[in-house]
Amino acid sequence: MAPKAAGDSAKVKSSSVYKDKSKPTDIRLSNINAAKAVSDAIRTSLGPRGMDKMIQAANGEVTITNDGATILKQMNVIHPAAKMLVELSRAQDIEAGDGTTSVVVVAGALLDAAEKLLQKGIHPTVISDGFQKALQMALQVIENMSTPVDLSNEDVLLKAAATSLNSKVVSQHSTILAPIAVQAIRAVMEPIVGGIGARVDLRDVKVIERIGGTVEDTELIQGLVIAHRAANVNGPHRIEKAKVGLIQFCISPPKTDMDHNVIVSDYAAMDRVLKEERQYILNIVKQIKKAGCNVLLVQKSILRDALSDLAVHFLDKIKTMVIKDIEREDIEFVCKTLGCRPIASLDHFTAENLVNVDLVEEVSGSGGKYIKMTGCQSGGRTVSVVTRGTSSAVVAEAARSLHDALCAVRCVARRPALLPGGGAPEAAAAAALSKAALAAPGADHYCLRAYADALEVIPSTLAENAGLNPIETVTELRAAHASGSASGAGVNVRRGRVTDMRHEHVLQPLHVTASALALATETVRAILKIDDIVNTLN
Amino acid sequence: MSTLAAPLSVAGTRHSGAPVRTQNVMAAAAIANIVKSSLGPVGLDKMLVDDIGDVTVTNDGATILKMLEVEHPAARVLVELAQLQDEEVGDGTTSVVIIAAELLKNADELVKNKIHPTSVISGYRLACKEAVKYIQDNLTVTVESLGRPSLINAAKTTMSSKLIGADAEFFSEMVVDATQAVKTLDPKGNPIYPIKAVNILKAHGRSARESVLVKGYALNCTIASQAMPKKILNAKIACLDFSLQKTKMKMGVQVLVSDPEKLEAIRARELDITKERLQKILATGVNVILCSGGIDDLCLKYFVEAGAMGVRRCKKADLKRIAKATGAAFLTSLTNMEGEEVFEASMIGEAAEVVQEQICDDQLILIKGPVARTAASIILRGPTDAYCDEMERSAHDALCAVRRVLESGRLVPGGGAVEAALSIYLDNFATTLSSREQLAIAAFAQSLLVIPKTLAVNAARDATDLVAKLRAYHNSSQTKVEHANLKWVGLDLTEGALRDNLAAGVLEPAISKIKSLKFATEAAITILRIDDMIKLDPEQKGKSYEDACNAGELD
Repeated sequence: MAPKAAGDSAKVKSSSVYKDKSKPTDIRLSNINAAKAVSDAIRTSLGPRGMDKMIQAANGEVTITNDGATILKQMNVIHPAAKMLVELSRAQDIEAGDGTTSVVVVAGALLDAAEKLLQKGIHPTVISDGFQKALQMALQVIENMSTPVDLSNEDVLLKAAATSLNSKVVSQHSTILAPIAVQAIRAVMEPIVGGIGARVDLRDVKVIERIGGTVEDTELIQGLVIAHRAANVNGPHRIEKAKVGLIQFCISPPKTDMDHNVIVSDYAAMDRVLKEERQYILNIVKQIKKAGCNVLLVQKSILRDALSDLAVHFLDKIKTMVIKDIEREDIEFVCKTLGCRPIASLDHFTAENLVNVDLVEEVSGSGGKYIKMTGCQSGGRTVSVVTRGTSSAVVAEAARSLHDALCAVRCVARRPALLPGGGAPEAAAAAALSKAALAAPGADHYCLRAYADALEVIPSTLAENAGLNPIETVTELRAAHASGSASGAGVNVRRGRVTDMRHEHVLQPLHVTASALALATETVRAILKIDDIVNTLN
Repeated sequence: MSTLAAPLSVAGTRHSGAPVRTQNVMAAAAIANIVKSSLGPVGLDKMLVDDIGDVTVTNDGATILKMLEVEHPAARVLVELAQLQDEEVGDGTTSVVIIAAELLKNADELVKNKIHPTSVISGYRLACKEAVKYIQDNLTVTVESLGRPSLINAAKTTMSSKLIGADAEFFSEMVVDATQAVKTLDPKGNPIYPIKAVNILKAHGRSARESVLVKGYALNCTIASQAMPKKILNAKIACLDFSLQKTKMKMGVQVLVSDPEKLEAIRARELDITKERLQKILATGVNVILCSGGIDDLCLKYFVEAGAMGVRRCKKADLKRIAKATGAAFLTSLTNMEGEEVFEASMIGEAAEVVQEQICDDQLILIKGPVARTAASIILRGPTDAYCDEMERSAHDALCAVRRVLESGRLVPGGGAVEAALSIYLDNFATTLSSREQLAIAAFAQSLLVIPKTLAVNAARDATDLVAKLRAYHNSSQTKVEHANLKWVGLDLTEGALRDNLAAGVLEPAISKIKSLKFATEAAITILRIDDMIKLDPEQKGKSYEDACNAGELD
């Protein structure tokens, strides 16, 4: 940071003396510069040939990532306006789940354009309104450009997922991860009756991270995966035609309260105490056996051991696989997946409260063992994905990338329309806006033109990151879009020139781009309208 | 959009662009330089001293790097790479680090010559894919065609670079036998070799050649009492995962006695509960009891009377393996389904002989000839503790190598033969491409030569001369059909000449070569893709909004 040295000397003066922050222009400029710096920082990670960031956190942990939202979250920026851009990328992450880098890059470019307009002497409110008009036009253009999608067409969804994955560290595995994302979403989506699209709750897709193996070993499981091993000592490791029960009580001797004591005054009573404990547990185990349960899931208990050693011993004997420490928040997912109800007391542990599962097995991989349940007969619409990778950094990045791909497919499900990728929608919108600018009178003319130029930052950055000549590429693209509005021409990174992205099968959901443009424009308008920062420091 | 990076205020420092890449590459090269001299049969060892003064002498790349406290994040990627290779393959940890660093160095050169990193990355990916394909198609031989000698040779090749290289012949036989002894079938019916089941014990004293392989299980415990028999033939074994100690009441149970005579009765009862358990076990004819908990001195009497052997505080992992090998049940409790305590004859495991032997200062219990499954333990002997530790690591590497060979069934020649062949092949492949990846693939080919070069340098031979000859041989093997057999040619480092390494028996598991190429490429790409490094300050010293505001950075 260059100005640090200068800043230190300023500190002496400014800490005691009241400093006149004065003119709104300065504030606006400071905000714009800070926000632009954020956008510059992640610009290089946009697109299939984008670079990664290495972030070393305060505790020494290193994250290597390409995901805009993750980079910004980790970066810990200070300036309030810069923080707005971080929020922006998070908002895009929540709304669309993908395009978190592009939303910030667009916002940065818009701010840059706004700065130039301010220098021309145009009032910020006029710029803000002009950008709003431009946004409406741009959204219209990209909507006309999009092609509707039939959700039963797996091929198209696959392309959207692959496009999202191509910019990630794990891009060479996109042929494996993209089908997983598509199958997962298709398995959990519920079509809206009488409406368009489908409803997708991402909570129904459980992504489990496991170190060991390579990313290629990532698999989709139509059923339940529990990320730890069975509690049995020498019990079964594989049960076909399992009857599964989920219990919320413990199989261990009850503890007396602190101020209660069991008093033994006779040696015969000692035997009775020991025997009583055995009988207590045996009673529970016999009930489990009577119900015909052979796979038992036990909710985690913090008050006492969910399973005593003796209980494990008995369950081994009746050949029941027992899995303990199911987290409380996972209970809902487990129930939905298996189609069962949690059993809260022993009285309700009966055959009708159990569910049938075709196969329960303990899988041992290089990173330890885990439980896999497949073929849940009465199960709901849920799936589990086990992501694998060689180190924790790779696994975490694979899971993040998979999340983005899942979100991309979800966006298509929500609003079934696709756009060509590679900066094509931005270029098309830019072409349409510059044409409209010619007819618009007054300040709007400048605003529309500036907005159009700002949108071109996406194709230009894509080209720059791929080692192409940005000026040449963008002008070529402009020419392609000036002729016809239906053209899907975009930056083809693989071939290094401008081609029709529809033929390259690079497709992205309309919802991602539309939401990115809308969110970026709104944030920029908000930043433009700020004319003072009041520091309430003591 | 301004290309000038405006000051971005973060709570830490930030570097971006080319300097980051160069800095990362330099850090990686520094790591590689540390392990470089330990590569190959004539590589040298490192002595590492930790902060409490413990000495480790080793030649194993993964171990050296694990002991170093590496700070730089990019260098840490390489350390993790070595660890990964150790876990996945178990061998070739040094070479993977050297290749990755060399790949980075050459990539950095290309980037400095204005080739975009993304082109370099895609070139590396393509080269790696081609190289792996070429190894699989052209450079492997199957174990079946070579038989048991090939297993021994693979073990010997791994060990040649280690301390025990002088006795490689002796140890490789031992390692191959041990691996074959622990062969089991996985649920799908494929043979697997869980090398963790080979129990390696170390005892200093005597020479390395007096190490022994025990067909059975060696347990680093002693019998509980000197009065017990030290040798039992036709042993009947019980494995208990609970203590044979005085029964204690649970928390919350109070013993309240009003009559002092009853106190004695309660004390006696506490003992009797355990005694009854023990007698139930001994009544079935068990003569060896292995216990993961303690055994009370008072119980020892019954052992001695029954002529049985009792071993306390066995490790749980050991006990489980013994239970598997002898067919015993691993018992956590004696209770049956009626709530009574019983011990059944079906829970007994058997072995031909259980004997306590004196090895060095320690007494070991050897369980020989278990019935259910074969087992293997290696007892390593060496002059010093540091020597024994290094022997253990070498034996582990060799076991891993043999296991890989057995599981994958394919071998490649060692001594730089594969690397030289690949470099020629990739060079030719690069010239057939007209895209910008050409230069990157040529750089990949160039980088692979670091292995034969380092091997030659470590052996104090003329690297340039030898590598040039090696390349010439491999070139003719790939261009002339009648010279196809020259593809097995590699370096002979003791003579400083070239030879057919397939015939000389310098062999490595193919999977190890393939994985190390893949891992090295992945690691290099991971580092190359980074163009920005943000180092956040520790939380407590973190820059607050107030500080930044006062420093005037926000204006």
